[in-house]
This record gives sequence, structure tokens and C-alpha cells, in this order.
Amino acid sequence: MGFSREQPVRGSLFSLIMLILSSLVLLFILAPLAGIFFETSGSDLLETANDREVRDSIWLTLLVAFSATFLFAFAAIPLAWIMARKEFPLKGLVQGLIDLPVVIPHTAAGIAVLGFISRDGFLGSIADSAGLSLINNPAGIALAMAFVSIPFLINSARDGFASVPVRLEKAALTLGASHTRVFFTISLPLAWKSIMTGFVMMFARGMSEFGAVVIVAYHPMTAPVLIYERFSSFGLDYARPVSVLFIIVALAVFILLRLISLKKKESHITPDAET
Amino acid sequence: MLKLENIRKKFGAFALSGISLEVPDGEYFVLLGRSGSGKTCLLELIAGLNTPDSGTVRIDGQNMTNSKIQDRPVGLVFQDFAIFPNMTVYGNIAYPLRSKGMKKDEIAGKVKSIAAEMDISILLSRYPQYLSSGELQRVALARTLVLSPRLLLLDEPMSSVDASLKDDIRKVLRRINRSGLTVIHVTHDYREAVSLAGRVGVIHAGTIVQEGTPESVFGRPASRFVARYAGIKNFFNVRLRKEGDDWKAIGDRNITFRVDGSGFTGGGLMIVRSENITINDNEPFPRADNCFRGVIREIFPSEYGMEITVDAGMLFVADLSFSDFRKLKGREASQVWISFPGEAAVVIDGSNDSETS
Repeated sequence: MGFSREQPVRGSLFSLIMLILSSLVLLFILAPLAGIFFETSGSDLLETANDREVRDSIWLTLLVAFSATFLFAFAAIPLAWIMARKEFPLKGLVQGLIDLPVVIPHTAAGIAVLGFISRDGFLGSIADSAGLSLINNPAGIALAMAFVSIPFLINSARDGFASVPVRLEKAALTLGASHTRVFFTISLPLAWKSIMTGFVMMFARGMSEFGAVVIVAYHPMTAPVLIYERFSSFGLDYARPVSVLFIIVALAVFILLRLISLKKKESHITPDAET
Repeated sequence: MLKLENIRKKFGAFALSGISLEVPDGEYFVLLGRSGSGKTCLLELIAGLNTPDSGTVRIDGQNMTNSKIQDRPVGLVFQDFAIFPNMTVYGNIAYPLRSKGMKKDEIAGKVKSIAAEMDISILLSRYPQYLSSGELQRVALARTLVLSPRLLLLDEPMSSVDASLKDDIRKVLRRINRSGLTVIHVTHDYREAVSLAGRVGVIHAGTIVQEGTPESVFGRPASRFVARYAGIKNFFNVRLRKEGDDWKAIGDRNITFRVDGSGFTGGGLMIVRSENITINDNEPFPRADNCFRGVIREIFPSEYGMEITVDAGMLFVADLSFSDFRKLKGREASQVWISFPGEAAVVIDGSNDSETS
């Protein structure tokens, strides 16, 4: 084992304890997931995959979570930049506000969002005058998802911007670039990896959201809501295949997004790379 | 070319307190000071990354104190070069040209010609992660010079370059200056000033304490601080007295030195450059001006030879070349004679002394 090769056996009691405790945690994560996979037969999985309701809910979840992340990124990234680069009074309070959705119970967040988008709420009344209802609507779901997951994107992007050396931005300014050009050619590309990490985290968090979503929209059903519905109406055996399918799809999407985001970083560099 | 008038700028616990400076066209000006003395801040004020609290920055007679960075004919090379890691060398050098909205083939032409001039043509498609410090320095210079600035600001250009490449960079900088570009070079190392400067300014505690040619500043430092900066190791607190036409400086234990005229009497500081002190095994004949018998306390190798400390009632530090050192028989604890000519002793008024130690 790598552990014992680097350290003498005699001093390894410490290493052994660390190893055992670490393994316990990993096992704790792995065991239920492995269990759910082993207990689901291939035929059950196939049948569930052909279930229209299940497929629709998974598509809806992916689509709404992605749209919410994508659209909110346009405002979240500038906010992240300001948090990384500017000093202003009550900055700590603003940071607290950004973190707030993470610490409040998600059902309570759902209630708050519902109040906001219901017909007498601020956003709801605007939508209503356009003949739209945000409740039980994918747009409402997107808002609920975004509300609870946006801190992940903002904080990760903020760390990314903060890690860009200020003198690179200064150098760009002295080389005649405008602030806008500095942002798009230096700050954004160099923070890109952290931004993409935040993007994936926000997407993942939004996708798996149940508490806030179920309050804003029981229908159309997102995958987490459907799993809950199958479980409460038919029991564990019926909820399990849906869960497995959702986990598989989610993992596939994350891997794909990771690959794309890394590719995208490279392609972001190449426009300046011709010779 | 550049004229700074009474620049004041406070930042944190530190302040530039009234910097006035004039650098004529084509000059190589070296600003010498400790890290944290405000040198970099001053460069940023000239480049426009910062604005002073008061005072004016004039470039070619024009008041540019509050002008936008992009409007100033000034190029700044950062201490660690600040090469953009997400672009190739080509992308880096093309960056300022793209900011100006130049056409693609015009950019390509300019990049290629400056790259040829800086001898980095073969690096153009490389990313900065794969370059040496000397190469990065050349890229940084090319990227700044491609815009043909009127004034080049260099922030510690040698400090991040490997020792073996310093000569190389010195040559490049000299050539750039000789082509007519005005240069302001900021450093903490007086040797860079000696080898490059047409004129030197020493900055300390937010003001320029002395300014002039390297010979005048290092030959006649105005204070102990400047003297330290000029690499001087021999400082003696003395009292000055005029005896007929001669000036005498009396140090500890009534050791008396003959010095060149100082123009003042009373307390002062006598400075002797260590390379002006000679060491002999026997009493020199004819007897030199300031000649004392002492004992060698320490011998250290130094950059150019050997540094020898002799106790002759007061501690003297002499720098000997290797060949002179080989001729000397005396080693540690040996008795030797030290001497230095009266004109090698510089006397400064103690009241000018900005450093108390």
C-alpha cells in the first residue's frame, strides 16, 4: 500500500487509525449507493427507463436545472467579480446574504420563493399581468432551484476571480486594454476553471433539490419529486429503480460537463494562440 | 520628458511625501531604494494605475496627473513580468496591439519585428509556463515596447532573473536606452545603478534624499542611508577641525585622520569606500596619508575578491582583489598596516543623517 511504503511500519499506528476512519466514511457513502444498484434488477431498470413519466421528469429536471444555472450565471459572475475585487461598506453583510440560501431549511426557502412568485407576490404579479402563472410552472421550479443553489456558483467564481493576480490585470491596463477587455481576456479566462466548477455545483445542487421545488411545483414533476411520489404511493421497490436511473443520468451529465468545461477552457485560450 | 512635481500619496502606514523629479529625454534614470520605500507606487502613479493625492505628473510638458492609463505614452514592465499565462508569447505581444484595434496582418508584422529585435522569434508559439526568467523578461519588454512608448518604466527588472542572465538583460536594456527611449529603472541594488544609470535618485521614507550621477551619489553620499545603499561599509563618527590649510577628523580614541575639506566643523560622519583602503604587511614607505597599524579580525570571500576586517582601534573593512589578497602574507590575527588617501574619505554633516544607527 502506498501508505506503508512511505512510512516505517513501527510508526504506522497513527496511519492505521487514519486509514480505518477514512475507509469508514468512504464505505458509508459507497454502501447505500452500491446497495441500491445491486437491489435493482436490470429488467426493472429497463422498464423504468421506458416509463414515459420517469423520462419526462428526468428531462425536465436536467433542462430546468441547466437553464436556471445558465441564466443566473450572467448575473452571478459579475457579482462574484465584485465580491473578489471591490471593497465596499457592509461587504461582510453582502457575503452573508449570498450564503443565506445554504443555511436556511429548503422547505422554508420554498415557502419564501412561493410567496415571491404567487399571484400577489412581487414577481408573480408581474408574470400574472403577462398572463403567466409561475406556480406549477417550470419557470417557478427554475427559480426555486436557483434560489437554493446560486451560492455555490457565486462563491466558487469569487474564489476564481480572487486567485487571478491583480498585477496581470494591471499589466493589461498599462498595455492599453479597457476594463471590459481586461475582464474578458484576463480575469474571466483565468477564473474559468473555478467558474465552471461553480457552474457544475450549482447545476447539481439545483437538480437534486426537493424541498423548495416540491412547495413551488408538485407538477410538473421533477425527478426528486417523482421519486418521493413513487415512494409514498407505492413503496421502496417502486422508488428504487427511478432513483437508480436518476443517479446514472446525473453522473453521466456531470462527467460530460466536466469534460466540456475543461475543453472549453482550452478553446478559450486558443483565440490568442495563433502564430 | 517626465516631470514630477511634489507628488504626495498616502497608502496605509506609508506615504510618498513630496517627490519632485525631472528626467530629460533619452536618460537612463535609476531610482534606488529599499523594498517598501514607495518605488513601485511611484511607477504606478507615473503609469496611471494610481493617482496622487496631490502634485502633478507631466509627460512631454503635458499635465497627465489624471489622464487615463491608455492615453499615457508610458510602458511599465512589472517585477515578475506579469506575462499572461493563458496566451502564447505571440498572444502576449499582440495583446496591446489588439487593444488598439489594429488589423490582423499589421499586428503580425509588428509582433514579428519586435520578436526578432528581442531575439525571441522562436518562442512565439510557446506558452509562458515553459520559458526561463530571462526569456520571460524579453517577452515582457517586447510586449511593452511594441506600442513604442516614449517612457519605459522598469520595476526591479533584474530581481526575478537568474544571475547568469543578468548580463544579457543589462545589454538589452542599454541597447533600448541607446535607441533613444527614456528609461526609469527602479531597484534596491546599487550595482544595477552603477552599471546602467546615467543618473541616480535614492528614495527613502517617501522622499528622494539624493540625486545625481552615479559617481557623485556613490562618491559623495549625502547621508549614512545613501552611503549604506552605495555599498559603503566604513562609517566613522568624527569631529572635524581645521588646522591651517588641513582638515582633520578625530574619531574614537582620538584617532586622527587627514581628510579633504568638508566646509564645516563639529560633528560629522566620515565614509571610506572599502576598495579605497589598502592593506600592507609592512609599514608603507613613503608613509601614506592615513596609515594605521592593526590586526586582521576576519577574512571573508566577497563578490569580487576578499573582504578583510582590520581592527586598528576602529574597525576598517577593506575589499581586496584576489591577486592583491594573494600578495598579502597577513592572515587572521596577523599584524598589518592599513592606509587610505585623504581624498578617499568623504565627510558628511551629521545633521543630514536620516538614519539613526
